[in-house]
Amino acid sequence: MKYSLHWPRTLASRLSLIFLIGLILAQALSFGAQYYERYESAKNTMLGNLETDVSTSIAILDRLPPEERASWLPQLDRRNYRYLLDKGSPGTAMSDTPIAVTSIKDAIGMDYPMTVTDIPGPIKRFQVHLNLTDGSPVTIDVRPAMVPLSPWLPFVLLGQLALLILCTWLAVRIAIRPLTRLAQAVETLDPNTHPVHLDEKGPTEVAHAAMAFNAMQARIAAYLKERMQLLAAISHDLQTPITRMKLRAELMDDCSEKEKLWNDLGEMEHLVREGVAYARSVHGATEEARRTNLDSFLDSLVFDYQDMGKDVQLCGKSDAVIDTRPHALRRVLVNLTDNALKFAGAAELKVESSADGSLSVKVMDRGPGISEEDLAHVMEPFYRVENSRNRSTGGTGLGLAIAQQLAIALGGALTLSNREGGGLCAQLKLPASPL
Amino acid sequence: MEHVDHILIVDDDREIRELVGNYLKKNGLRTTVVADGRQMRTFLESTPVDLIVLDIMMPGDDGLALCREIRAGKHKATPVLMLTARNDETDRIIGLEMGADDYLVKPFAARELLARINAVLRRTRMLPPNLVVSESGRMLAFGRWRLDTSARHLLDEDGTMVALSGAEYRLLRVFLDHPQRVLNRDQLLNLTQGRDADLFDRSIDLLVSRLRQRLLDDAREPAYIKTVRSEGYVFSLPVEVLGERS
Repeated sequence: MKYSLHWPRTLASRLSLIFLIGLILAQALSFGAQYYERYESAKNTMLGNLETDVSTSIAILDRLPPEERASWLPQLDRRNYRYLLDKGSPGTAMSDTPIAVTSIKDAIGMDYPMTVTDIPGPIKRFQVHLNLTDGSPVTIDVRPAMVPLSPWLPFVLLGQLALLILCTWLAVRIAIRPLTRLAQAVETLDPNTHPVHLDEKGPTEVAHAAMAFNAMQARIAAYLKERMQLLAAISHDLQTPITRMKLRAELMDDCSEKEKLWNDLGEMEHLVREGVAYARSVHGATEEARRTNLDSFLDSLVFDYQDMGKDVQLCGKSDAVIDTRPHALRRVLVNLTDNALKFAGAAELKVESSADGSLSVKVMDRGPGISEEDLAHVMEPFYRVENSRNRSTGGTGLGLAIAQQLAIALGGALTLSNREGGGLCAQLKLPASPL
Repeated sequence: MEHVDHILIVDDDREIRELVGNYLKKNGLRTTVVADGRQMRTFLESTPVDLIVLDIMMPGDDGLALCREIRAGKHKATPVLMLTARNDETDRIIGLEMGADDYLVKPFAARELLARINAVLRRTRMLPPNLVVSESGRMLAFGRWRLDTSARHLLDEDGTMVALSGAEYRLLRVFLDHPQRVLNRDQLLNLTQGRDADLFDRSIDLLVSRLRQRLLDDAREPAYIKTVRSEGYVFSLPVEVLGERS
């Protein structure tokens, strides 16, 4: 593989390359064949002409009185050869015999003994020496050459090449464009918010692919809707019995059983609520975006925790007004802060604005942190870390999944990392540009 | 004879309304339970009550429609507490828009309901507001600010949202409900504590200073909330009720 040529990466360049090479080769082949054919036929015609022409010319010269011969010469001259009334230039003996010489010999060799000499020079040239019947010398000066090509031929060839390139480009474009569109559509596929409906027109294959894509999209949307409905139905139907049970439990006499029942009901209620919240968060951006003063937003959040006697601190200031979905943002931060409070008993929020205008809000704690192999999975729904973050701490395994879904709906990103010196840092990055 | 508060509970689930009724009765309130809007209307014809607990999800007339009806009729001053089915912000906002005084998410604890009922009663009784916010007017305008009373945040002139913590909102709301009237610290504390009885006591002075910061009010020369020496505070600007949410 090391020695092979680089095969271009994109389909467009591969197709173009194949088309171009193929068409140019085919073009060259047909041009070559025609040229050869033309050469052959031209040669045969020329040699045929040569035979009759040379025998006629020599016969004329032979029969003319010597003093008139010179005046006839211009009329006997041809493009490739002319007649000289002398012994010609000195030359070397011919090593091979050109076809033209054979033709001349065939025409007049019987009557006039001749010698052939090669005249050295950049252009191929030879002379045939003979004597007329009266003994005066005649030389046929031959410069063999093909009939030159027409001057417009290169332009025609260039034109053809341009046509080839244009057609290749057009064909490749037609072939590639639907593919690019499909890839884009798949990339931005989000059946919840804005279904991308592909145009089902065009060539059969393209139309088929578009239809298949649209159908797939509709199927995914239907599945998601079904799941959402299922979760909502379960949670709604559970709400009434849970409410009844809670009320009944409260009316019970105080005993340890009442306490346990109460806690179980609390857990059930929490799971139902988180389940719906998660289903909703997957459905994403339904809330309207608002211009929000970020500092007062974080302040009020932290004060609410402090007013409930929780150890939550805020440091940093962004001086930013952002377009965001306040309920979703609040939910993300509340989930992260609740997590920190659960595992560390305290949370620290830190807001920073970076040079490119994007903002980050960090929620940090000094709790046990999360092991590296768990970090990759904690944001999956229902994932629980084995040791510390298990059922006994009352988690549903949905808090971080909800936070991550909503972070994406906000156009941001949520990342978790362990802090130096222990503890977890959850960083929410928010986009600088409006949603 | 001492007045016993009469609570009307409207819920389509028989067990829930009876359990709630029993609990409230055990805690010294007089209760009547009805199953739907029709029964509610019939009962209110003959007997005025002190507070209505309304379930939002009911067959027939739902809680929102009934709440609007109460606010439009002769019992418009009766406080309403909504029970919402889902923990959904939109339910809450719509409930408050329809004129409910408070809301509680199902499943709730009976003792929380009791605390909320007492808070709403205390709030509406202790110091009747001299500014009545009607169903349509959810926006209170003062100075350069507007307060959205259902979403519970401030809007500045540009329409940028400035969030308020729960306690800040309640304190501001008390001020706006009683504009240009001196309120002492006890009154403020009582009215502000409202919703969460287990809230930690923040001193009113600290809350006022936080609220001033939020309103960009200069603490030394405040334009909104003025300190009245040895008496308390007064909200010194006029407050206007706006018709529509912008």
